[in-house]
Parts: sequence; structure tokens; C-alpha cells
Amino acid sequence: MEIRPIFSALMRNKTGLVLIALQVAITLAIVTNSLFIIKERIELMNRPSGIDEAGLFTVSSLPFAPGFDRAGSITQDLATLRAIPGVIDATPINNLPLSGGGWGEGMSTKPIDPNTSKPEDSKGTTIYMVDDHGVNTLGVNIVEGRNFNPDEITDRNERDNGWPQQVIITQALAKELFPDESAVGKRVFMSNDSTGSVVVGVLERLQAPWVNWNGVERATLVPQRVLWSSTRYLVRVKPAERDAMMKTVEAKLGEINTGRIVRGLRDYGEIRKSAYSRDNAMTVILISVIVGLLVITGLGIIGMASFWVTQRVKQIGTRRALGARKFDILRYFQVENFIITSIGLAAGILLSYGFNIWLMQVFDAERLAWYYVPIGAVCVWALGQLAVVGPATRAARVSPSVATRSV
Amino acid sequence: MLTMQHLSKVYRTHLIETHALRDFNLHVSEGEFVAVTGPSGSGKTTFLNLAGLLETHSSGTYLLDGVDVSKLDDNARSRLRNEKIGFIFQSFNLIPDLNLFDNVDVPLRYRKFPAAERKRRIEHALTRVGLGSRMRHYPSELSGGQQQRVAIARALAGEPRLLLADEPTGNLDSLMARGVMELMEEINAQGTTIIMVTHDPELAARAQRNVHIIDGQVTDLGDEPRLREPVAAVG
Amino acid sequence: MFAYYLRLAVLSLKRNKVLTGLMVAAIGLGIGASMTSLTVFYLMSGNPIPHKNDVLFVPQLDNWSPNQPFDEPNEPPNMLTYRDAMAIVESKQAKRVAIAFTNFFPVEPDNKEIKPEMVTSRLTTGDFFAMFETPFRYGGGWSAQQEADDQRVVVLSKATNEKFFGGSDSVGKRMRINGEEFTVTGVLDDWQPTPKFFDITSGPFEENEDVYMPFRYGIEKELQSSSNNNCWKDAGDGYQAWLESECVWLVGWVELENAGDHDRFLGWMNSYVEEQKKLGRFPRPMNNRLDNVGQWLENQKVVRRDTQVQVALSFGFLAVCLINTVGMLLAKFLGRSGEIGLRRALGASKRQVFAQFLTEAAIVGVAGGLLGLVLAWAGLAGVRQLYGEFERLSQLDVPMVLTAIGLAIASAIVAGLLPTWRACQVAPAVQLKSH
Repeated sequence: MEIRPIFSALMRNKTGLVLIALQVAITLAIVTNSLFIIKERIELMNRPSGIDEAGLFTVSSLPFAPGFDRAGSITQDLATLRAIPGVIDATPINNLPLSGGGWGEGMSTKPIDPNTSKPEDSKGTTIYMVDDHGVNTLGVNIVEGRNFNPDEITDRNERDNGWPQQVIITQALAKELFPDESAVGKRVFMSNDSTGSVVVGVLERLQAPWVNWNGVERATLVPQRVLWSSTRYLVRVKPAERDAMMKTVEAKLGEINTGRIVRGLRDYGEIRKSAYSRDNAMTVILISVIVGLLVITGLGIIGMASFWVTQRVKQIGTRRALGARKFDILRYFQVENFIITSIGLAAGILLSYGFNIWLMQVFDAERLAWYYVPIGAVCVWALGQLAVVGPATRAARVSPSVATRSV
Repeated sequence: MLTMQHLSKVYRTHLIETHALRDFNLHVSEGEFVAVTGPSGSGKTTFLNLAGLLETHSSGTYLLDGVDVSKLDDNARSRLRNEKIGFIFQSFNLIPDLNLFDNVDVPLRYRKFPAAERKRRIEHALTRVGLGSRMRHYPSELSGGQQQRVAIARALAGEPRLLLADEPTGNLDSLMARGVMELMEEINAQGTTIIMVTHDPELAARAQRNVHIIDGQVTDLGDEPRLREPVAAVG
Repeated sequence: MFAYYLRLAVLSLKRNKVLTGLMVAAIGLGIGASMTSLTVFYLMSGNPIPHKNDVLFVPQLDNWSPNQPFDEPNEPPNMLTYRDAMAIVESKQAKRVAIAFTNFFPVEPDNKEIKPEMVTSRLTTGDFFAMFETPFRYGGGWSAQQEADDQRVVVLSKATNEKFFGGSDSVGKRMRINGEEFTVTGVLDDWQPTPKFFDITSGPFEENEDVYMPFRYGIEKELQSSSNNNCWKDAGDGYQAWLESECVWLVGWVELENAGDHDRFLGWMNSYVEEQKKLGRFPRPMNNRLDNVGQWLENQKVVRRDTQVQVALSFGFLAVCLINTVGMLLAKFLGRSGEIGLRRALGASKRQVFAQFLTEAAIVGVAGGLLGLVLAWAGLAGVRQLYGEFERLSQLDVPMVLTAIGLAIASAIVAGLLPTWRACQVAPAVQLKSH
């Protein structure tokens, strides 16, 4: 209602206006972009890995004894593990989802020739080498087809190159390879493998080890036991018993064979935490930045408004004498704050998109979703209005008799 | 227009009570030009604050234009100030960040007149005080006399029934003071009741009636309007 | 005079404790946030071996697939094949060559009561120690002769020596690694360059390896890298095929005589690739590189994007805090217009008023800077907690502390300039008149 005179009065006193508007502008730019990054990271961290994380832990065996029987030891370990009461299942596995280290491979519907095939001819997938207990241990769901049969499991030595006849792939990978039809029964080819493997099953979901890979949902199980210098096991137990079972399993493995080191005991909570530690850290840091900024900007507005109230006591008294109600005075400061914030926000909107464009150019960030800036703007408006309530209430309490005081 | 009976005003701090006005009785009729005089600290300003509804009285009754103001809340008092009373202050109290037009506009805004009506009134009032051509100027660009004229225009724009002037010429030199005084007389001649607080006997002498306050009480109740009779100067 | 200003400033700051507190808090928060992110950034982007920046180079040979680059847009592989690494060694074109990969081995202590433990190992050519100037606590690297004779020799990290030999001088002692007896030739002192420039493919902020063993031992044992083995086509069967394959898995560095030698060595690399092209290798267009340490760290994007974003955000935050302080100082100074006018009337020059108020601003800056240091220290502890992985990336060192204090004072003075200038503009006479 009285925007114009308030605005023109502000224009006579630009320093304070510019100081607050600048703060508001930078705050908006940082808050919107931070919120956007936070949302992205939270979405990232909330993606399910597809496995029964709560009940899973891993442990590794590193042999040192001369003439160590790797295959025999794995057979013995697995039999022991599966026999421990409380263990739901166990499998050998080369690499783990979310762990950060893994095996990547191109997969195609026709044989891949490295000299002529184009990158788009094949889909990158991670390879998990497991036995017939792999599906049950991981806790993944087969949505189509079947699990590996025990007689399909083969051994893979350190420099073996071929691929088994059967594979199980995730739905995401199946859709990319066979967009229009069921993958089960189809033949897929990995690098330099002219015979190919048959897809026997499709998994609902199983993530790759690299959480920041854009193909993280593309995973493949192959029926192989790896006889490498170190063997990793994945053990599934009831979530409530996991901590106790980890100790039991570590002790048991140490007991049955002393020619190796039992190491790398980690539960999945730990693995997930370290997989997303950077995203989590970024989220926490950004939230701190947002809170800090809002507090600082809020205090800045309170400080500036208080100063103005003190400066304008006489003016306020005069307005009251001339018929302004307390409410009018309150509203004067709220409208004034609204105008300042709006000017700041106008600059802030430009700054927000500018910052976003910089992030996109330098860091391949996503484009800011359209609703972040309006949401951020409403928040900053609310912050401004809230911050000014105190000083404005103080202003409204100025007595009209101030007008007749001579100092 | 204004009737005060047994009015008192007590200022309390946690240590002392000060009786600024006590058993104060005054009647001002419609159309009168009353000068209120008295020594410093006699209660002139308190009287003005009470008359102008800038403060509330402690006891007694105050009828403004027939309305008992002691029963009114803050909002109603603000409204009454806005509609019936015009103020002229010793130090003008113009808002430095607003130009003349916007300064005169201040009380009209609170009255919620439509824009066209406000514009008409502002232009009329400023023209009347001889500043019609300087509406976009800022107070700091004017002389003291001109500033006080703006303040008078601001008071007039609302067409008040009662004009309260607090030492209106106190910060002006005598030439400017005379101009302001003439303007007030002109306004009074058109029917607006004026109460002017002053310590300048020469000015007071030009009023129709003098009220002298000492120690928070009226000492000289001139019942009969005295038309421009000289009054003895009191300290 | 300065002492007088100082006293006036302290008096003034004491008069309004809330406002003073807010200003100090605002500067402190801004400095704390920016110093935290800047410290991480500074440690990440550091060049741990600047004095050899012009002589240490990473040779990159683009042996990748004809159909796609190793990395977009057209990056050559960041590691070497065994064939190419050996060609560099045998060419004797460089003063020193370090070829290395990592793996892990069991160690069996002599005392059978103690359980065997796993150690991580860097299998490297012997020039490594001299090239990267590793500090030795005891002994040194193995000799060229020992390497050529395939002797079982090992260099231990300080922590490993601590663990297996109680920190004593273990040079000449034996250690059972991977089922064989190794002789200790040296023990490193504290050495953890940040970033771990000499092998960033396995993680630029990873801990150094526990032991260092001769490269040829790894080949003899038919090992691959335990961190990265990248192939664009199948290696074929058997270890010999692996060694002859186009798979990259070795980290290679060369040390040249001087900076001017760079072009000569790159020329040799190009002519080598020309030769190899004739043999049917290197199907891509010539795309070799020879980066020095700084270029290498930059090209490999060692500084995380998140860290860079955090630096940008924290400086935005600092800006808001400073603007805030400008506002509060302005309010504070102009609230004292009366005092200023009086001082001016009593004969203070503009310059003196300026000095008085700038002193006050500087005190706020110093206090804010100190608070900022404490907050940065706490912030870094928080960062350590959050990231968990890099202790070294979150340590305040002397240059950073000095930077923090400098930044704080500079910030406060910049923030104080406008309010001080405005305070100087207060005219002497006007304020004496009541209004």
C-alpha cells in the first residue's frame, strides 16, 4: 500500500539497502544451489544397493603357507561357514557392491572385437564372481529365470580369460541389452569371447562397486570361484545377530586353517558409510553453510533494522502523532524489509543461476531445477520478515509524544 | 471543541512521582485561537501531549469534539489524531528522506484516501502555504520558515478541526516567524480551532485568548475571548 | 597516539558488547569456514616436490583402442604397459626411471606366537628412492647390483619398522615376506607426500605402502597390480601374454637432467611410438604426453570437485559475513556521530578520526581472526570426522595459520573502510547543534 514512499525514502539512503540486499542475494544463491546439491546427494545415498545390507558382512583369507591349497581351502571355509548356526548363507565373491573396487567389463549382444567395435556397441557392467549360493547370500531377487546350478560353478585362476556359459544380469542391464524382449535365454558376449554366455536369470536390482558410476545398476553374476592370492567371502546372517556372528566367523576361520591370514572383516554398514562418506560429508557441510548463512543474514537484518529504528525514533513518533497506528509502524518496517529483500532477491536470482551455470561448466553439475529459486526466495523473504519483527515491534512501541520532545 | 475537567497527569518512575498536570480544567470552543503560555517545566508540553492524544491522562475527563477520549484504545486515538487534529512542531518534524509531496502525504496515507484525493489535497495544501512549485524538493533544500510551512501544509491537508502548534516559531527568525503566524491566523479565520503553545509573549498576544499554566494548573481562565489585546508578559 | 586509539576502541567495543560480539562472531564464522575449506584445498592442490617440478615427468603413451580414448575427451592412459615401461627403462634416455605397481603380501614374524600379518607393498625399480627423495631413517635403497641379481631386499616404512622391529635399526635384518626371507636395506623416516603424487591412480590421498620391494620380484612372482589393471582388449592366456598385452597397469616416472630435456625425451617417446606403429601397435593417432608434477596433478584432477565447490561457497559465506560486519560497524560508527562531531570540533583531523575508527575495526578483525582460527581448527576436526579418510588433508600448518590471521585482519579492515570513511565525513559543527 505504501510501497512507493518507502521505496523512495530507501533510495535516499542506499548504503544500508545495498548491504542487506547484497547479503540476501549471496545467501539466496548459496542456499538454492546448496539445497539442490543436497537433494542430489540424498537421492544418491538413498538408492538401494539391492542386497540385504543389514545382514551382510565380509571377511578375507590371505594364504601364506607354502603350497597352500587354495581351492581346497575355499571348499572347506564355505562348508564351515554354512554350517555355523545363525549363518543364513555364504559365498565367495571377487568384489563387493559399494566397496569402490571392482571388475568392469563390456557386454554386448554380439561378439566384441576390440579393433572394430565402437564403445556404444557394448554396455559396461561389473562382474561379480560367485557360486550357486551367491544369489541367496546377497539377498537379491531373481525376477525372471533361475539361479546358477551347483554343477555350473567353475574355478577361475589368476590369469584365466574365458567366461562361463551362464550369467545372471540385472534388470537395468537386461533392458539396455534387450530393450524389447526378455533377456532370459539370450546370448551375451564379453570382451574377446566369441562363444558368449547365456543369460539364465535376471535380478531385480544389484549395484556395482562404484557408486558414482553412471552404470551403477548394471551388474552381472558369473558362476566362478576365484582362486586368487586372496579370497573374499560374503556372509549373510540375521541382522540382529550380525555383530556377534562376525566375531564367531572370524575366530572359526582362524581356527580351521592357520596357513593364512584372516582379515578385512567389515560389515555392510561400514562399507556403505565409506562408499558415501564424501556425499554425506558434502551434505553435512552444505547444511552447516545454509544454517550459518541464514543465521548471519538474519542477524544482519536484525542489526540493520535496529539501527534504523534508533535513527528514526523521532520520525516514528511524528508518524504516530500524525495518526499512524502501531500496526502501521510495524507494517512500515515489514514493507521496508520486504522491499529490501526483494531487491536482494532480484539480484540473488541472477546470482543463483550464474552460480549454477558456473557449477555446470566447471563441474558438470546438473541444471538447477526451476522450483529451487522460488522456494529459496520464499524462505529468504520469510527470514527477512521474521528477523525484522523484533526491531519493528520496538519501533511500534515508540510513543507519539516523542514528536514534541525537543531533542 | 475541547473540554478538560480535573485532568491530571502523573509520571512515575520506580523512585518518584511527578505531577505534570493536576486538576487541570480548560474549555476551548470551536473556532478559537488559544495561546498557552507558561514557564519551562510548567506542564505546557504535557498539556499539548494530552490534548493531542499523544499521551493518556492519569485521571479526570477529556472530551474532544464531544468524544470522551479516555475510553479509547490506541488505534482509536490514532484515528482521532489523524482525522481531527493537525500538529505543528517546534522542530518541524519533517521526514528528511521524503520530498515535500510525500511528507504532506504521510497523514493522508494513514487516512486511506484514494490516490487522486490525496494528490488534490497535497497540491492544494502546498499551494496554500506558497510551496506549490517545490513539491519534489527535499526538506534539507528548504529554509526553516519554508520547512515549517510544509509542516503546516501537512497539518492542513487532513482538514483538521483542531490545530495544535508547539512553539511553531521557536526555531525561526522573526521575519519567518511572522509569516508563519500570519498563515495560522488565516487558517483560524477559516474556522479551524488553534491551540498554540508558546513562550513568546508577542505571539501569545496575537491569540484570541491566553491560557497561562504554572505548576500544572491553569492560572488565568479568560472566559471572554479577548481579541488581540496585549497581555502582560509572564516569565 | 596509537595507544590512545586502542584504549578508545576497547572502550567503545565494551560499551555495546552484543554488537561487538556479533561482529566478532560474523568475521570469525566467515574466516573459520573459508579457512577450513581453503586448508583442505591447499593441501589437496599442493605440489609436494616443487623443487623437482621441472625434472620429474610422467610419460604417457597412447596405446589405447582405435575406437575410444582411454578417457574423454582424448586422454592417453595414465599408466603404462609392461612392454612400454621396459622400453623406457632400456632406452636409457632418462637420468632415472621409476616403474612401480602395488600388491600385498603376508609377513610371518619370527615369533610364531604372533599371527602373520598382511603388508601392502610397492614393487618398484630402485631409482624410486633417489627420484622422490625419500627420507631414510636407517640405511637406504637397494643397489643396482642387488636389483640386477634379483636379491630379496626390502625397504620398510617407519611404521612397519616400528611394528616388526620395535623401531630399532633393522638394516641387514631379515624379514619373512610372502614365504621368503628378505633383507632390510633401509627404513624410511616419516614420509607422506600429500597428494601422493607418485601414484595417484590408486587414490591421491591413500596411505603410503608398508614396504618397498624390487619391481623384478613382482614380475618373477607373476603378479599384477592390486589396484588398477586396465585393458581395452583381452590380454590372452598366461603371464607372458599379460606382459606383452596392451593392458596398462604400471606407474611410470622419469627424471631428466634439466627442464630443457623435456622436448628431447618427448621426441624419443614419439619416435618409439612410430617404431611400434610399424609393428601394428598404437592404433590411435600420436597422442603422447610428458607432464611435469604440477601438470600431472592438475590433469589428473586431484583436487576434488566438492572441495572446489566448498571453497567457492565458503568465500561466498565470508562475503556475507563481511557485508554484515560493514553494516554493523556502520551502525556503530554513525551511532556515534555526536562524539565524532565533538572530536572534530575540538580539533581532530579527518585523518585522526579515520585512524581512531580504523583501529577499532582492526581490533574486531584480530578478535574475529582468532575466533576464526579456533573455528577453522574445529571445522577441520569436523572434516576429519566426516571424511574419515584423510588425516593429512585437515591439518592446520603455519602458513595456513598466518593466512587465516592475515585474511581476518584484511577482511576486517576492508569491512571497516566504508564505515570509517563515513564516520570521517561527519561535519564538526552540525552535530553540536541539537536537532
